[in-house]
Amino acid sequence: MNPPGWAGGRTSGLRVRLLLAFALLGVTTTAVVASGSYFQARRVILQQAQDAAVVSLTDQLAKAYPLRQLPPTQDELDTMAQLLSDRDEEVIVYYHDMRAQNGLALDPLTSELRQSVRDGRVAWQRVSIDGQPVLLIGTQLMLDQPDGTPRPSGLEVYAVRSLIPEQQSIERLATLAWGTGGLSLVLAVLLALVAAGGVLRPVRELGRAAHRLGEGDLTTRLVVRGTDELADVARTFNNTAERLERQVGELRRMESDARRFVADVSHELRTPLAAMTAVTDVLDEEADRLPGDAGRAARLVSQETHNLTRLVEDLIEVSRFDSGTARLALDDVDVAAAVTATLRVRGWTDRVRADLPPGVMARLDPRRLDVIVANLVGNALRHGAPAVTVRLAAEPHWFTVEVRDHGPGLDPEVLPHVFDRFYKADTARTRSEGSGLGLAIAWENARLHRYAGQRGSLVAGNAPTGGAVFTLRLPRAAEAMRAGGVR
Amino acid sequence: MTRRTATRPLLAGVLVLIAVLAAGCGVRPSGVITGSPALRGPSIGVGLYLVRDGEITLVVRPAKTRPSPDEVIGLLAAGPDEYERSLGFTSEVPADLAPASVGPVADRSGLGVTLSGPVGTLSATAVDQIVCTLGSAGIGDSSTPVTLHGSDGDRQSQVCPRF
Repeated sequence: MNPPGWAGGRTSGLRVRLLLAFALLGVTTTAVVASGSYFQARRVILQQAQDAAVVSLTDQLAKAYPLRQLPPTQDELDTMAQLLSDRDEEVIVYYHDMRAQNGLALDPLTSELRQSVRDGRVAWQRVSIDGQPVLLIGTQLMLDQPDGTPRPSGLEVYAVRSLIPEQQSIERLATLAWGTGGLSLVLAVLLALVAAGGVLRPVRELGRAAHRLGEGDLTTRLVVRGTDELADVARTFNNTAERLERQVGELRRMESDARRFVADVSHELRTPLAAMTAVTDVLDEEADRLPGDAGRAARLVSQETHNLTRLVEDLIEVSRFDSGTARLALDDVDVAAAVTATLRVRGWTDRVRADLPPGVMARLDPRRLDVIVANLVGNALRHGAPAVTVRLAAEPHWFTVEVRDHGPGLDPEVLPHVFDRFYKADTARTRSEGSGLGLAIAWENARLHRYAGQRGSLVAGNAPTGGAVFTLRLPRAAEAMRAGGVR
Repeated sequence: MTRRTATRPLLAGVLVLIAVLAAGCGVRPSGVITGSPALRGPSIGVGLYLVRDGEITLVVRPAKTRPSPDEVIGLLAAGPDEYERSLGFTSEVPADLAPASVGPVADRSGLGVTLSGPVGTLSATAVDQIVCTLGSAGIGDSSTPVTLHGSDGDRQSQVCPRF
């Protein structure tokens, strides 16, 4: 049987929670680190590319000096643009409204870039043209004047440089970052599984041990590993189980002591009782001849001695059940005949309506069947109201004997205790004929019969129409096994 | 239940982070980044200040020899040539100002330009053209005040405006 709560696959289980926490931690850390280094690297790559491009353009432009003619002719502008352009960059040259450009279909320059250039700074800007990253660099050409102040010449030079190589490097970086993220996720999951295993194994063991303890195996102990909190729990569990085992053992010992004492006392009483019985039998015979009170006293002594003898017999019988020494003496029996014999021997045949289909054969202990039936019928006659019925019913492997009366039935409060020892349903009925052990012995006798792992049973109840119903269920082929057994 | 409500924003945060990372990839367009001051270098030839779009603008004309200041004022008074005119250059210096002579003023605190025509009627732009062209020709510097002497009197201490 699977202990409840330890079956795997719960979505809110510790394993899933640990897994999620680890994965989240791993992904977050990697995302932060990877994105941080990615952005940093991207910034550096772009900055270096831009700075290099700017330096390269200004170096190239140094060749344009000294200027010989302003305003330049369109040819001069075109020549200049051509000279400055190279494999990597296209150059556009402006002189006020004049414009020379090499091979560029459209003007990529932004107005804010041109404004910054006109303001007299080297300026650059990254733009996207047709989805491709492009770097625009622009500067004005100033003219040194003899007085040392530069004057704008009106010439503006712009370089258009593709950033695709840089983009490719950055994309490689991004791929690397994603790869790192994925790897760290896998790693985090693996770590989480290991950690979850480390935490969950002791917890699962603890759960299993607790379950076993709950099932009654008081010898259950856990292996204490390490010094963590789980080890503390395991140690506490072991201490608890040990104390429980000791106390239960103590209780069992005390109980068996008490039972042995009862058995011993009963045995010790048997011998003097036998002698007493012999004496009281003689007294009983003489009672009629004794005058008045003496005769009544003699009969009373005789009666009580008989009761005492029966009590001691019953106690000895009960002790045998308790000590597990009760044995079945199996025999093949016609159940209907056996029940009929029981009724006849006790002279109840007229008072009991018997419904006993013949031919129900069973292998059982006939003496015990007799004890049970006699007890049930006797009780019904004594405490119930007529009519008392005994009905036999057969199943393939079991048969039932139902004893029913038509009295008021059993009080619902009494019902659970009917088979308790010395339990008296009617407290006013103090010293009755029975020993108070009859039903307990009948119950034990029923349970002594076993078949296929099941025990025979004796159940008390009330019929819907009123009256107590005792149902005896016994196997038709009781197994001759160790009787009494472990309780 | 409380754990679930706490997990949801966390999860959303991670998703947003990933979305931002995915969107922020590649080379993004930027604003204008400005660097050092614009490139500067020398010129060979005669620098003259003409007017274009109402502002005085430097032009450089090729010259085999360095002209004297008097000649420079003559060139200025001659106005833009044909090509310069075709590009929208004009001049506000009237042709009758030449010939001119340039020399230091009496107290040597500035430069004096003696012109042939009247200076009282000269526009401010024309004065700037003369003063700045003299500076460009290497006589004095931009902070040297220039006094114009004309047929109708003087026009006091001008300096080339910075632009």
